[in-house]
Amino acid sequence: MLRAAPRPTVRTVDPGRRSQAVAGWILASPFVVVFVAFTAGPVLASLGMSFTDIRSTDLRTPFAVEFVGLSNYADLVQDPVFRKVTVNTLLYLLLGVPLTMAVAMLVAVGLNSVARLRGFFRVAFYLPVVTSIVAVSVVWKYIYRDEGGLLNTALSWFGIDGPGWLDSTTTALPSLVVMAVWRNFGTLMVIFLAGLQTVPQEHLEAAEVDGAGAWRRFRHITLPTMRPVLLFGAVITGIGYLQFFEEAFVMTKGGPLDSTRSVTFFTYDQFSYGNYGYAAAASYLLFLAIVVLTLVQFRLLRERD
Amino acid sequence: MKRTQTALAGLAVASLVLTACGRDDDSGAGGETQSTEIAEGAATGTIEVWAMGTEGEELGDFVEDFEEANPDAHVKVTAVPWEAAHDKVSNAIAGGDTPDVSLIGTTWMGEFAEADGLMPTPTDLVEEADFFPGAWQSTEVGGTSYGVPWYVETRVLYYRTDLAEKAGWDHAPKSWDELHQFAADLQEAGAKNGIYLQPGQTGAWQTYLPFAWSDGASLTNEEGTEYTLDSPEMAEALDYYTQFFDDGLSITRNVDPGEIESSFAAGTFGSFISGPWHTGLVEDAGLDESQYAVAPLPGRDAGMGTSFVGGGNLAVFKDAQNPDGAWKLVQWLSDPEVQQDWYDEIGDLPAVQAAWDSGELADDPQLKVFGQQLTQTQSPPSVPTWEQVAGTIDSLVEQAARGDLSGADAVEKMQSEAQSIGTGL
Repeated sequence: MLRAAPRPTVRTVDPGRRSQAVAGWILASPFVVVFVAFTAGPVLASLGMSFTDIRSTDLRTPFAVEFVGLSNYADLVQDPVFRKVTVNTLLYLLLGVPLTMAVAMLVAVGLNSVARLRGFFRVAFYLPVVTSIVAVSVVWKYIYRDEGGLLNTALSWFGIDGPGWLDSTTTALPSLVVMAVWRNFGTLMVIFLAGLQTVPQEHLEAAEVDGAGAWRRFRHITLPTMRPVLLFGAVITGIGYLQFFEEAFVMTKGGPLDSTRSVTFFTYDQFSYGNYGYAAAASYLLFLAIVVLTLVQFRLLRERD
Repeated sequence: MKRTQTALAGLAVASLVLTACGRDDDSGAGGETQSTEIAEGAATGTIEVWAMGTEGEELGDFVEDFEEANPDAHVKVTAVPWEAAHDKVSNAIAGGDTPDVSLIGTTWMGEFAEADGLMPTPTDLVEEADFFPGAWQSTEVGGTSYGVPWYVETRVLYYRTDLAEKAGWDHAPKSWDELHQFAADLQEAGAKNGIYLQPGQTGAWQTYLPFAWSDGASLTNEEGTEYTLDSPEMAEALDYYTQFFDDGLSITRNVDPGEIESSFAAGTFGSFISGPWHTGLVEDAGLDESQYAVAPLPGRDAGMGTSFVGGGNLAVFKDAQNPDGAWKLVQWLSDPEVQQDWYDEIGDLPAVQAAWDSGELADDPQLKVFGQQLTQTQSPPSVPTWEQVAGTIDSLVEQAARGDLSGADAVEKMQSEAQSIGTGL
């Protein structure tokens, strides 16, 4: 057996390694240039914009604007509409993530235990994910209609007179969440279905022999084994709900009375009003919220020793 | 650690660069003198034109007469879809690479003029008095005109004549009280809702503000430097507007696309307020001219009310390669006869009053109503922040219509928000 020679304490640069590094950078340069010009550049520029009072009318002279420090951020925190949309976004998150994950898990466990037609159902449940969000939103808008809507027609068979689901400030947001859950759970279902295959069969069988029921097997073996998968699911679903936009844009236009307007919708409005600085600040606050949420989820769901 | 330091250093440099800039005080629109007069003689060279929608598709063939009269000039028309138009024009202005002349939506005038993209209208190009006053108003930013109205549209009252007859009305309502009674009577005569007024969301201001204007409200002070939205007239008009919702004469939800005309044809809505495009839509939905009519908006006490005027202006860019040719084309397009031909071509209502004196525009009973209404219209202030202020008005109209906010409280909020937004000039 060979023993590695002790490392020299003085750092020397191996000429071969240096030329390798140069070659490496040359080969990587097309990507680096594109990345700096089209990804890092705009991201940093928008961060810079959030500290200025830039508006759409400043486009010809983008540097002739005032540096306003954190005042855009301070204004946002005091803006009643921004506060309202923040609460709405939190509602989307708190209602949407658990519901989506629960439905996805339920369907995944169900599919995992059927042998026949599994492929068919997997495709069927995944289908909403690949459909056009705008088309789906328009269809759901009709489902939720007050008169002649599919949902209220179905309810009327049981003698229930359903409301105009999207016309009331209390039911509009939950209605959008239900639609978003229907549309989004397919992705998680596929991921969870794959995660379920990693649960060791021997453990489940051993537990069954020891007399553990189905619920206890699921609770104490399946769920802990799937912790990393659940974490991944929670993170991507959470980010999705924090950026909630298209459904509200098509179905309610943020109404009634701003009850379905989200932070992304607010940012979109501000950009279209030409308040580029203010809008950039709003999007960086959302970015911060996503980072914080992701850190929290990692902490809550990380592997425990 | 080192990375944090680099990042901090970078931020510091960036903020220094930014603080070194700062605004000039004299930048922006308004207070500019009108351009100098255009040269004598025919237009020459290539004139690049952007136009949106149907205008963009048809203008290329239409300008052949102009090219015939100006043999050395060549007009190149580029059709731009409306959805992409705003961004395309604003990018062109930012990059300094503009066409010579473009169709500009009336509500964009403030923004593009303030961005220093548009050239003030030459003094001797056209007569201001030839145009409908409300339409000309939309070209003026901070007291300077930056273009010429091309076509206009205005809002009038549509109502079912058969239902009105059944309810005992042989004429259209002529005052606010009559309009309210009219809506109630139509409902009595079988309509589910006597009238449809937009209860909020994007564009509701276009239905609400005509009532305020009819009551004598003004959105800004004389100089156009400050909003005056909290006037008693604005509050009174909003209270009148919300009365329709409180009395169940109009629905409080927003309609789906196409619902107005189909409900109107079905007799569910007895009347509504909209622009000239709805005559075609209503007839496509199955009504003929004997079943419905249009009428000017009623004034507060008597006479004709003041309506909203929108449409498109023609503006020449500061970076135009051929401003002289461009202004001559604009001048040609503002000729009453050319305006009439253009109406025959695609149905755009002429912005020049003289074009309404003969032909179909003078004879058709429906068109006459639009022509009559156009003489008494207003456009919103041409300021860069108007869309945002309009958004605020929309949302407060909704709070008054659906909730229990009083007119006075709503307009007070409109004013305080509009003040903090500013005119942007």
